[in-house]
Amino acid sequence: MIPVQRGRGGWVSSRSTLAKAMAIVSVGLMLALAGCSSKKPAPVGDTNPNANQLNENTSGGTNSSTLEDWKKGLIPGQGPLSDIHFGYNDYTIQDQDGSVLKSNASWLQKYPQTKVQVEGHCDERGSEEYNMALGAKRAQAAKDYLVTLGVSGSRISTISYGKELPLCTEHDESCWQQNRRDHFAVSDNKD
Amino acid sequence: MGQAAAQGAGAGPITITIAGPGGQLSPIAVSGLKNLGDDDDHRIGSAFVGTLRRDLELSGYFRLIDPHAYIEDPQTSGFELGQFNFADWRSINADFVVKGSVGAGGPGVKLTAYLYDVAQQRRMMGKNYSGDAGDVPRMARRFADAILEAATGQKGPFDSRLAFVSTRGGRFKEIYTQSIDGQDLFKLTDNPTINLFPGFDRSTRYVLYLSFKSMAPALYLADLQQRREAKIDSPHGRVIGGTLSPDGEQIVASIERDGITNLYLLTRDGAEIRQLTDTSGINVSPAISPDGATMAFTSDRSGTPQIYVMSLAGGSPRRVTYSGDYNTTPAFSPKGDKLAYQSRNNGRFDIWTIPVGGGDPVQVTDGNGSNEYPSWSPDGRYLAFSSTRGHNSRIYIMMVSNRKIISALTEGNGNDSCPAWSGWLGE
Repeated sequence: MIPVQRGRGGWVSSRSTLAKAMAIVSVGLMLALAGCSSKKPAPVGDTNPNANQLNENTSGGTNSSTLEDWKKGLIPGQGPLSDIHFGYNDYTIQDQDGSVLKSNASWLQKYPQTKVQVEGHCDERGSEEYNMALGAKRAQAAKDYLVTLGVSGSRISTISYGKELPLCTEHDESCWQQNRRDHFAVSDNKD
Repeated sequence: MGQAAAQGAGAGPITITIAGPGGQLSPIAVSGLKNLGDDDDHRIGSAFVGTLRRDLELSGYFRLIDPHAYIEDPQTSGFELGQFNFADWRSINADFVVKGSVGAGGPGVKLTAYLYDVAQQRRMMGKNYSGDAGDVPRMARRFADAILEAATGQKGPFDSRLAFVSTRGGRFKEIYTQSIDGQDLFKLTDNPTINLFPGFDRSTRYVLYLSFKSMAPALYLADLQQRREAKIDSPHGRVIGGTLSPDGEQIVASIERDGITNLYLLTRDGAEIRQLTDTSGINVSPAISPDGATMAFTSDRSGTPQIYVMSLAGGSPRRVTYSGDYNTTPAFSPKGDKLAYQSRNNGRFDIWTIPVGGGDPVQVTDGNGSNEYPSWSPDGRYLAFSSTRGHNSRIYIMMVSNRKIISALTEGNGNDSCPAWSGWLGE
C-alpha cells in the first residue's frame, strides 16, 4: 500500500508530547496577552513601546501595524491617530467619527513625511472570509474620507484583518463594538 | 431499520439488516488479532483494533461491545470460518464480529481481517493488507470503510484527512491536518501570523490556504508530494480567500481592491483565466462543484450575504438562498446535488443544506453553540463543521441524514475552525 503523504517535518508522532509543549507555549502567550481579554478598552500609549517616541521626531510619531504588535505579543498601541468604530455588518462612517477623521487628517497634513495604513477590523460574528471583505470596506471608507479632507491617496494604504485580531475577546456587544474598528498605523514615508 | 445487501466472501449474496440512521445501533465486537509470529507484544494488533473501534464508533452505525465481555481468547481460537465458535459472540449479543491475524514471515506487516455476521454464521467480507508498521492505522481505516460498504452498501469515509485551523500552539492561527480519528497530527504551517481556509484537491496532493505570513494576505499552494509551496497573488488587488478545484488545476480567488471584492478564476499557478463576478460589493467564499463546472459563493448584492451559484465559464449567477439574512460558506456535496452552508440565527450560526437547484433549506445542526464552516465527507454521509457548543471551538462530525452529533474530532488547547475533509487517500 502507498503510505500516507508525509509533508515537511514528517507527521507528528507523539500527540501527548506535542500537546504538552504547546500548552507551555500557550501559557506564556496568555500571560503576555493577559490585557487583551479585559473588557476595558485596551490601554493606550503606556503599553506601546513606541509611545515615548511620539512627538519627538520630525514625523510626529509612528506605530506598528496591529499584526506586527500582535506577533510580538504586544497590545496594539494607538499611535498618533485615533481609531474609529462601526455598526454591526456596516462600513459607513458614523457621525461621531467625522471629527476623529478630521483630527487624523489634520495630523497627516501637519506631518507630510508620513504615510498611513488603515486597518479594517470586525467583531467575531460572521464568517472569516466575509469579515475579511467587510474589513476591507471599512478601511476603504476611512481612506475615502481622508482623501475628501485633502490627504493624498498615495499616502494611504488599506488592509483588512477581518475578525482575526480582536482587541477584546469577550462574547458581548461592549466587546464587539470595540473590535469593529479602523486602526491607523503610521510610518515614515521613505519614498 | 434499513436493509442492505452484502456480498459474502466466497459465497452467494446474503441479506443483512443494519440499523439505519436514527435507528438502533448494531452491536459489533472487534476481537484482538491472532499473532502468527511477528506481533508478540501485540503492538500491531492494538494499533489496528484501536483505530478500527474508533472509526466504527464515529460512523454512527455501530455500538462497540466492551472487550471485557468477550469470551474467547483470540490467541488460542482461530480466525477463519469454522475455527471459532459463533456462540461465544451470540451470547454477548454481537450482530457482527471482526477477527483477524498478524502474519509471520518476510519484512513488513502482513495483516488479515474478516467481518462475520454472527446470526447467519457467515463471513461477509475479508481483506489482506501488507505494508510498514506505520501503515497499520491506515489499514484499519480502510477496513472500517469496507465494513461500512459491506453493512450499508456504501463505502465509509475514514481513509482520508482533515485539515483545520487551530490556535492550539498559542494565539497564532496555524493549519494542521490529522486523520479523521484524530491520529497523525501534522502541522502544515509554522509562521506566527494568521493562516486560514485550508482546502484539498481530490487527490490530497495539494493544500491551498490563505496566510498573512508576508504581513499582507495571499494564497499559498502547498504541494505535499513535492514538498514545495507557491504564492498566489494578483495584479488586481489583495487576495483574501480562495478555493482549489477538485482536479487541482484551477483556483477561484477572492480579490479585493478599493474595498470591493470579486471572484476570479485562476490557473493553479495563479495566472488569470477570467473574472467571474463584477459587483461593487462583496463576493467571497467560493466553492467549486465536484465536476469542476460550477461555483457556489456568497454575495451581498441583494443587501445581505446570500448564496449564489454560477458557471465557471461565466454568465449570470443564480440566487440559491432566500431564508435568513446571513448565509455563507457554501460547500458542494460529493454528488454535487446539495450545498451545505451556515445561516445566522439570533447572533450565531447553524448548518443547513439546500438543493443546488433551489428548494427548501433543511437545518441540520441543533442550535447548540455557533455552528460554522461545513465540509462534506467523501462519501457524502457526514459533515465536519466547527462549533462553539463546548468551551472552545472544536471540529465535529455529524451524520447528515439523522442530524445527530456524533463526536468531536479535535481536542487540545485553543480553538479549532475552518475544517476541510479531504477525498479518499487511494490505494
